[in-house]
Amino acid sequence: MLCFVALAVFLFLSVFSAKYRPLARRALDCVVKKATLRPCDTGLDEEIKAASISGIMKISPGGASFLNRHFEAFSLLFTLLFFASLFFAAQGMYNFVVYGNCNGFEGGFCIYSGLQNAAFLKAPTSLQGISAGNPNANITLIEFGCYTCPYTKAAETGVQGMLSKYGNSVHYVYKAFPLPAHPNSREAALAAFCANDEGKYWEYRAALFGRQEDVMQNGTVALYSIARSLNLTGFDACYASGKHSEQLQESTDECTASGIYGTPTFFVNGKAFAGPGAIFDAEKEVKRLLGE
Amino acid sequence: MAIDATRLRADFPVLQSSKAVYFDSACTALKPRAVIDAEASYCLELSACAGRSHHSLAKKTEERFEAARERIARFVGAKAPELVFTKNTTEALNLVIRSADYSSRKKVVSTPLEHHSLLLPIMEQERRGIAKMGMLAVLPDGTVDESSLSLIDKNTALVAIHHTTNTTGMRAPLEKIVKAAHDAGALVLVDGAQGVPHSRVDFGRLGADFLAFSGHKMCGPTGIGCLVGKREAFEKLDTFIVGGETVETVSLQGVKWKNAPKRFEAGIQNYSGAIGLAAVCDYLAKIGMENIERHEHDMAKKLIDAIATLPGAIIYGNPDPSKRCALVSFNLKGIAPHQAALMADSLSRIAMRSGVFCAQPGMEALGAPKEGAVRASLYLYNTDEEVRIFAETMQKIAKMG
Repeated sequence: MLCFVALAVFLFLSVFSAKYRPLARRALDCVVKKATLRPCDTGLDEEIKAASISGIMKISPGGASFLNRHFEAFSLLFTLLFFASLFFAAQGMYNFVVYGNCNGFEGGFCIYSGLQNAAFLKAPTSLQGISAGNPNANITLIEFGCYTCPYTKAAETGVQGMLSKYGNSVHYVYKAFPLPAHPNSREAALAAFCANDEGKYWEYRAALFGRQEDVMQNGTVALYSIARSLNLTGFDACYASGKHSEQLQESTDECTASGIYGTPTFFVNGKAFAGPGAIFDAEKEVKRLLGE
Repeated sequence: MAIDATRLRADFPVLQSSKAVYFDSACTALKPRAVIDAEASYCLELSACAGRSHHSLAKKTEERFEAARERIARFVGAKAPELVFTKNTTEALNLVIRSADYSSRKKVVSTPLEHHSLLLPIMEQERRGIAKMGMLAVLPDGTVDESSLSLIDKNTALVAIHHTTNTTGMRAPLEKIVKAAHDAGALVLVDGAQGVPHSRVDFGRLGADFLAFSGHKMCGPTGIGCLVGKREAFEKLDTFIVGGETVETVSLQGVKWKNAPKRFEAGIQNYSGAIGLAAVCDYLAKIGMENIERHEHDMAKKLIDAIATLPGAIIYGNPDPSKRCALVSFNLKGIAPHQAALMADSLSRIAMRSGVFCAQPGMEALGAPKEGAVRASLYLYNTDEEVRIFAETMQKIAKMG
């Protein structure tokens, strides 16, 4: 039964590596035989079974024994789940392409368009951070970002586009959330605060994203290099003293309290947008609020 | 003298580069450095053909090839002119069964325990209406039922039988079978593929008319085998594969064939294989076939003791280790043979064969399921430590059932 799953998996892997093609051929042979009600004699099912049980045996002999006794039932269940998942994924993709949402007309949560208004993401209570746009606007757009995060960088064009289009109607606030997984994220956030002290935050921010690789690899050297290119005279005193450490900690704490799990995450009037394409969903929400 | 298998392992390069527990020697045995060097020496030093050209390289090739024939023949207690080189045991068995004279006697007697290489040529002769097949009975413990030897009668042209089976490692009662066959005036062909590598086989003492064996099952090269036969028995055979060097003279009016062995060695021969096979005969003779046999009985006992303690284990054939070489086919309750073998490989890199071992009727006669069994087949390079790893691993696998 598992040869049906094996065929789909090995065919997919064969696209990327030739070593999976003989396995895909064996799986295909087995599928053709099973489909024509003949016994599969390629041995692939047995190899998969032996490999699975041997692997589990190293962790749990009891679990391996249970799996061995009920392998056919598990195979059937796994195969049905696999093809059901494939069906729903394909249906979701079709809906996403045709209707812009995996659920079609009904709308709602769609994994392809990222998280929207997830209950675990709580809107921040303060508007502290780097501001832009119209502070008196009815629409507030908050971004939790990390300067050395490739996804935050990818969203930056969208952010700047929104600011230029809706700057008068939107109050934008950027909250720094340096993620430990991104090299030199904390240093970059501190440096950006120092640039803000001298009124050159947006230039420094553009340079940070523009030279993101350099900042990730060379850290402080790259940050000073950017500061020199912008003639930031007080940068050294500010950065070396860790002047904004406390401010950064407050921002980080706020992010943690909001349940942010990755950057960038956006809030439009308290409604959260995270995951793939979050900036585009946030823009749609802004447009909706503006009645566009 | 006991074999020091641990020391012998240094002679086998593959055991240095691979950490596998190699229990598949009945399929093919590992090659010692001496064989690899001997095979390479033909390619490096000679690379010419024998028996045709007259230049010095050809002469040297002829000398080395014929010297190899002499050494291999001596190893099995035969004379050089009695040894025909073949591709393998399969070809040697086909040669006799397909070339024997069935004009006055039609019957070929064998047993269901035989390898397909022996059974299929007989079945083909029957299908073509040339010969008729007769099967000796097999007892539940895998031994040939001697009471059925009466099947060998005056209509029997040939008795074709194993020396040692590849399914249980047990021997046929050859002394009685050869006597019954000769009393009836039939020829005897012995399949020595599993016998010659694992015990002292003396063609003269065996009394059979033909003995077939392969190089690769006795640590020799692949692609080389032998058919040993008595001169008068070879004379009773028709030609098999014909071509260059099988004839004295040829005209369009007729052919004068050479005598054996050349009559059956058509075309360019596997010179490197023959030289390599001679090298392994020397290698095994130096260790002593009696010592190898003793080592195998010891290994068989440990192997059977280990398998007997596995929950739900079934051993095929007589479990008395003194009646076998170090070869045991078995099954575990609730675990398919292929799965058990694959798991042993995955868990402890134990290399074993599973299935019906090209002996489907034989496995059926032994009561095995259609999927066959797992076969552990050991040789001179296997150690007590490897049997211990095997026992531990199979214990874990048996608990899955």
